[in-house]
Amino acid sequence: MSTPAWEEFAELALKRIAASGAEYGDIRVQDSSTEHIQGEDRRIASIRDVKDIGFGVRVLYHGAWGFAASSILSLEEVPRVADLAVEIAKSSASVAIEKVRLAPEPVHRDRIVTPYRLDPFSVPLEKKTDLLLNTMALLQRKSGIARSSASLWARRDRKLFVSSEGTQVEFDLLAGQGECTATALCEGRFASRSFNTPHLRKGYELIEETDFLREAPHVADQAVEKVKAPAVDAGRYDLVLDPEHLSLTIHESCGHPSELDRVLGYEANYAGTSFLTTEKRNNFRYGSRHVSLVADNTESETLAGTGYDDDGVMCQRWDIVRNGIFVGYCTNREVAPKIGESRSCGSNRADGWANIPMVRIANIGLEPGEATRDQLIADVKRGIYIEGHGSYSIDQRRYNFQFGGDAFWLIENGRRTHMLRDVVYHGITPEFWSSCDGVADRSFRQRYGFITCGKGQPGQSGWMTHAASPARFRQVQVIRGEGSS
Amino acid sequence: MTVLNGTWPKLTNSDEFRFLSDLVMTRSSADHTIVSLRDHHAGTTRFANNQVIQNVDARRGSLAVTVAFGGRHGTAGTTDFTAGAIQDTLARAERIARISPVDPEYLPPPEPCQFPVREPAKPETMTAGPAKRLEYANEAIGHCRMENIMAAGVVSSSSTAVGIAADNGLFGYEQRADARFSLTVQAGDATGWSAAAHRSIDHLRIQERTLAAIAKSKRGRDAWELPAGHYPVILEPAAVAGLWAWLIWSLDAKSYMKGTSPFAGKLGQAIVDERLTLNNLPDHADLLGEGFTHEGLPSTSSEWIDHGILRQLTYDRFTAKEHGVNTIPTLEAPALSVEGPQAHSIQELIRGAEHAILVTNFWYVRPVNPRDLTLTGMTRDGTFLVEKGEIVTPIRNFRFHESPLQAFRHLTAWTAPMEAVTSETGKMLVPAMALPHFHFSSVTRF
Repeated sequence: MSTPAWEEFAELALKRIAASGAEYGDIRVQDSSTEHIQGEDRRIASIRDVKDIGFGVRVLYHGAWGFAASSILSLEEVPRVADLAVEIAKSSASVAIEKVRLAPEPVHRDRIVTPYRLDPFSVPLEKKTDLLLNTMALLQRKSGIARSSASLWARRDRKLFVSSEGTQVEFDLLAGQGECTATALCEGRFASRSFNTPHLRKGYELIEETDFLREAPHVADQAVEKVKAPAVDAGRYDLVLDPEHLSLTIHESCGHPSELDRVLGYEANYAGTSFLTTEKRNNFRYGSRHVSLVADNTESETLAGTGYDDDGVMCQRWDIVRNGIFVGYCTNREVAPKIGESRSCGSNRADGWANIPMVRIANIGLEPGEATRDQLIADVKRGIYIEGHGSYSIDQRRYNFQFGGDAFWLIENGRRTHMLRDVVYHGITPEFWSSCDGVADRSFRQRYGFITCGKGQPGQSGWMTHAASPARFRQVQVIRGEGSS
Repeated sequence: MTVLNGTWPKLTNSDEFRFLSDLVMTRSSADHTIVSLRDHHAGTTRFANNQVIQNVDARRGSLAVTVAFGGRHGTAGTTDFTAGAIQDTLARAERIARISPVDPEYLPPPEPCQFPVREPAKPETMTAGPAKRLEYANEAIGHCRMENIMAAGVVSSSSTAVGIAADNGLFGYEQRADARFSLTVQAGDATGWSAAAHRSIDHLRIQERTLAAIAKSKRGRDAWELPAGHYPVILEPAAVAGLWAWLIWSLDAKSYMKGTSPFAGKLGQAIVDERLTLNNLPDHADLLGEGFTHEGLPSTSSEWIDHGILRQLTYDRFTAKEHGVNTIPTLEAPALSVEGPQAHSIQELIRGAEHAILVTNFWYVRPVNPRDLTLTGMTRDGTFLVEKGEIVTPIRNFRFHESPLQAFRHLTAWTAPMEAVTSETGKMLVPAMALPHFHFSSVTRF
C-alpha cells in the first residue's frame, strides 16, 4: 500500500495547489509492476518484469485544467511538478471560454484491495514457464501446426489518490490473463486459433483454474480444421455470437458511442465523436426489446471495478440501453453537468500516473435473456456461429462496423455443422442491434476484459470488462474476408 | 518559478547514462549485460470546440536491464534511477535469467560499432514548452473562429534521451525530439483534417495546414451517398501512408521463413507496380531518422522495394543470422517514390481524372486477412466525387475492403513524395496517387 512518504508528497502538492488559488487539485502516486512472459514456437522468447513509479498532479484553475507528471518521486520534484501543473492551468485559463465546473461528489476515505488467493508475483517463475512450454508443445504436437505462442501477464497497481476536497483513497489492485495460439499451414494458406482466459482482477488462481493443457489439443485441432475449412459464401446469414466475440461488438458499437466526452466533441480529432447525440437520450431505438446494456463498475473482479475512478467518484451501476432504448452515458465530473447530471457516474480513468484521466467506457454488459444457446441455434435455418475476436473496424461516429472472429461454424437447419473460414460481417450499429431476437440466459454469461482500448492524445490504454451471454442476430450481411474481387 | 519556457526537466545526458550503465555492468554477474535508457519528456496541448480542453506535461525516465547466463535471459525495468532501485532491477533481471529456460534463439549483444551521427534533437523542439504549444494551438483555433467553424486538435512536442550499452563495449546515446500537430475542423456535418510531424516544431506549418483543413470541411457540406463498389481513386498522401504502413508492418522475416506471411515466396519478385520504390532514408530532413535501434544496431539507408520488387525483410537478429543476413536493415524513415513523370500537385491529379473518388485519409485500418493482406477501414475527413477533372460533390464515407498488394499493382498517376503522417501511422514520405481500381464495400451514414 502507499507509504507515509506518499502521503507527505500528496500533502506537499496539495498545499502548493491551494496556495495558487486553484479551485481544485488532485494527485495520484502510483507504483505499477508488470510481469509478462511470452512464449513463441516452443521457446520462452521473453520474460519482462517492469516497475513503473511516478506521480501526476491535476489542477483546475479558473475553470481550466493543467496536468504535470514525473517519474522522480522526491521532496524537490513534487512541488516543482505541482507548480508546473498550476502554471499550465493558468495558461489554459487565459484562453478558456467555457469554464469547467465539476459535478459534486461526497468526500471519500477508503482503501481498495483486489481479493486474491494466489499472488501472481509470488508464483515460481519455473511453474509459469513450464506451463507455457508444455502448452506450446501440445499445440505443435498436432500435424499441420506450424507455429505456436503462449503468454502470461500479471499487473499490480499500488496507488494513492488524494484530492483538495479531502478524498483520499488507497488502491492495491491486481489483474492477470493467460492465452495461447496455434497457427496451421495448409497448401500455402495459414490460419490461427486462440484460447485465452479473460483479463480479470484476480490472483494467479485465474490461471490455475484454467486447464491450458486440456484446451491446447482442441485449439490445435480447430486451427487445422479452420485452415482446411471452406471459405464462406457472401450473403445474409443469421448470426449466433458467443460472449467473447460479443464483448468486442459491445465495446466498439455501444461502449465508445456512450462516452459523453466523445458526444461533446472532445475526441473529434482522434477517436471520433458519436452518433448517440444528447437529443437521442431516452427516445432513440438503439436495438430490439431484447437488448439491454448495463454499465456496472461495482461488479467484482472486473477491470473497471476499482471502487473509485480517478476523479475520486465511487463506482456505480447504471443503464446505457434499456429494452432497446438508449438511456445513459459514461461520464466524469467534468462532462456530467453539461447534460444536466447532478453526479458523475464514475468513469474517469487514466492509464497510469503519467496521464490525465478522461472518460472511459465502463464495464458494459449485455443483460441475459431466457433462452439456452442450443435454443438460439435451433431456430436458425442458415447461419453462422462465431467465437472469439478477429478483425475489427468501425467509423468515427460508430455507425458502420465490420467484425471478423476467431472461429466460425456453419449452422444449417438448427444444427452447428462444420467450420468456415474468412467470415466477416458488417452493418450499421442500430440496425444490427435491432436485429437481435434472442439472448441466452445468465448461466451462459461470460466476462472478457480489454486492456488496450486506445483513446486520447497522448494515447492511453483503457481497461474495462464486457459481459454477455450468446445472442442471435437475424439476416446480417456477411462477406468473404479475402481479396478484392 | 517559471517553467513554461521548457527548461524543465533536464534529461539524462550521455555521461550520466554511461555512469548508470557502468554501475549495472560492474555489479552484474551475468555472462552478458545490456542496459537501455529511455528518458522521455512530452507535452501536449489539446483543444476541442475551439478551446483548450487538456494541457499536459510529463517526464518518464526508464531504464531496462537485460542479462543472460548462457542462453538463459531476463529483463527488468524501472523508472527509479536511484542506486538502490538500479541494484534491485539488476537483481530481478538476474533472478529471471537464472531460472529461465535456455532460449535457442538467444544471441549475445551486437558488437560495438560507430553509429551514424544524426541530429534528431532540434533545439527549438527540445525547448518548446507549454507556452509555445499554446501559441500554436491558439493560431489554429483563431483561424477556425474567424470562419465560425469548430476546431479540435493537438500541438505536442517531446524530447527523449535514448541509450544502449553492453558489457562488450557497445555504447550508443542520442537525444531525439519531435513535434506534432493535427487538426480536425467541423463545419456542420462535414469535417476537414490535416496533420504534421517533424523534428523541428518550426516546421509544423500551422497556418497552411489549418487553412487546408478549413477548406476541406467547407467543401464537405451536403454529402451525396454513392453505392459501394469498385471505383478509380485519388489517394492523398495520408491515405497512401495508411495502406503502406500495414504493408511495411507485415514484412517480418520470421513469418516469411515459416510461411505465415503475405509475402511468403515473394522476395525478389514484383509485389507492386514496377515504378514504385521504397527506401529507408534516415538522413532525410523531413523524416524521423535515428542513429540506432533499440537492439543497438545502426540505422542506415537501405532499399526495400526496388521498382516493384521486394528486396528486404524486417529481421530479428536470430533469423538474420540463420539466413546469413549480415547487415540488418531498418525502416524507421520510409520514403516511397514513383519513377516517371509526376503531377505537380494533387490538384493536377484531380484535373487529370475522368471519374474518381478523392480520399483525404483512412481511419481504423485493420487487417482482415493476413494471407493476402486484405485490409478494411473507413474514409475520413473529406471524401469527394471527381468528374471530368473537377470535384463535383462531397460523398458519404465508404468502408473499403482491399489489399495494398492489389491496389498498388498499377498506378495511373502520382505526385512527388510529400510528408504524410496520420493518427495510426508513423511519419513517411509518399506521393499522392491515382489508382484505377479500389474496392469500397459499404457506405456509412455521414
